[in-house]
Amino acid sequence: MNEKEIQFIGKITAGVTHEVNNVLASIREISGLMTDILSITDEKSFPRKEKFQTSLEKIQNQVQRGVKLTCQLNKFSHLSDTNKTDVDLNEIIEHLIFLTERFARIKNITLQNRPLTQSITITSDPFLLQMSLSNGISYLLNRMGNGGEISICPEKKGSECSVSISCIGERIDKSLIFKDASSSEELLSLNSIMHSLNGVYELDELNAAIIIKISSKN
Amino acid sequence: MEKIKILLVDDEKEFVETLSERIRMRDHDSEVALDGEQALKKMDDDLPDVVVLDLKMPGMDGMEVLRRIRKAYPKVQVIMLTGHGSEKDEEEAKKLGAFEYLEKPVEIETLMKKVKKAYKIKFESTMMAATFAEAGEFDTAKEIRDSEEEEDSLKKAKKKSK
Repeated sequence: MNEKEIQFIGKITAGVTHEVNNVLASIREISGLMTDILSITDEKSFPRKEKFQTSLEKIQNQVQRGVKLTCQLNKFSHLSDTNKTDVDLNEIIEHLIFLTERFARIKNITLQNRPLTQSITITSDPFLLQMSLSNGISYLLNRMGNGGEISICPEKKGSECSVSISCIGERIDKSLIFKDASSSEELLSLNSIMHSLNGVYELDELNAAIIIKISSKN
Repeated sequence: MEKIKILLVDDEKEFVETLSERIRMRDHDSEVALDGEQALKKMDDDLPDVVVLDLKMPGMDGMEVLRRIRKAYPKVQVIMLTGHGSEKDEEEAKKLGAFEYLEKPVEIETLMKKVKKAYKIKFESTMMAATFAEAGEFDTAKEIRDSEEEEDSLKKAKKKSK
């Protein structure tokens, strides 16, 4: 996908998330008004008041959930605004986990961010960077069976940054994780992304990990 | 409790009308404008204490409306209430004199807290003029009042020219 196409998708996604957010804001106000009215309504004249109140709270909780999702999706849509900017690696990982944890949950796998205490700021293409991490996670998800954990650990050594994506779990057969790895769609794609990012990826067979290496000044 | 006059400006009709109703239930005055031009026209007729303004609207956008309000009515406080605004938007709005920048959806109690705080600033500037006058510092009091009168006479002149 070229830069213009990525930006087009980003723009459309941003527009739609904005509209969805407006819908959620309206639902929140309308249910809020119902709550306000309910609070001044006499219990005797409203026999199922408590049930009604609980249902309104449920609506508001779902709205809150929707707002969180649109907020993250909106952030994602703006990744394509620029192809070179300062990005916080911890933040990029956290954001990606939020967006992809559903795929892991289906297989009873947890995605675990193990961020460094200090922030790691690098100059890079945020969209491609997140795509590279997503490819690494997808590869491991497809190779792992049911259950386990994928751990994502960023690290910084001098001007070089790396992110280790590894799978952990008793039932994981580490010898099978990288079998015929080079022909997999995810790693072929990862290879081409790393080329664009001026980085490399390595496979650590012993620890069943994919290590993505990039310079902090890309 | 002081009754605050609030003007809500947003093109999302159901959202803004419901929010207005909830504000009125809290014993404040609330008016609705569905776009920037309507908002400025309403302000010419009846000046609110606080404006709650959306950023992205068809026609004149929120930033332009904010600019015009701050120029014509510097004492009226403006709270920006937007969907997914960027840090750049927030920075620009604050530079233009927005009192607060909030993201939608917002808890009504949070919004009302900010509205009351904004109103307090407007109220204090009027009180300040009175205090200076009492203390015999007429020049300072006049300066404060002049800017208020300027606002009123501008409003009256606009009404006359219609």
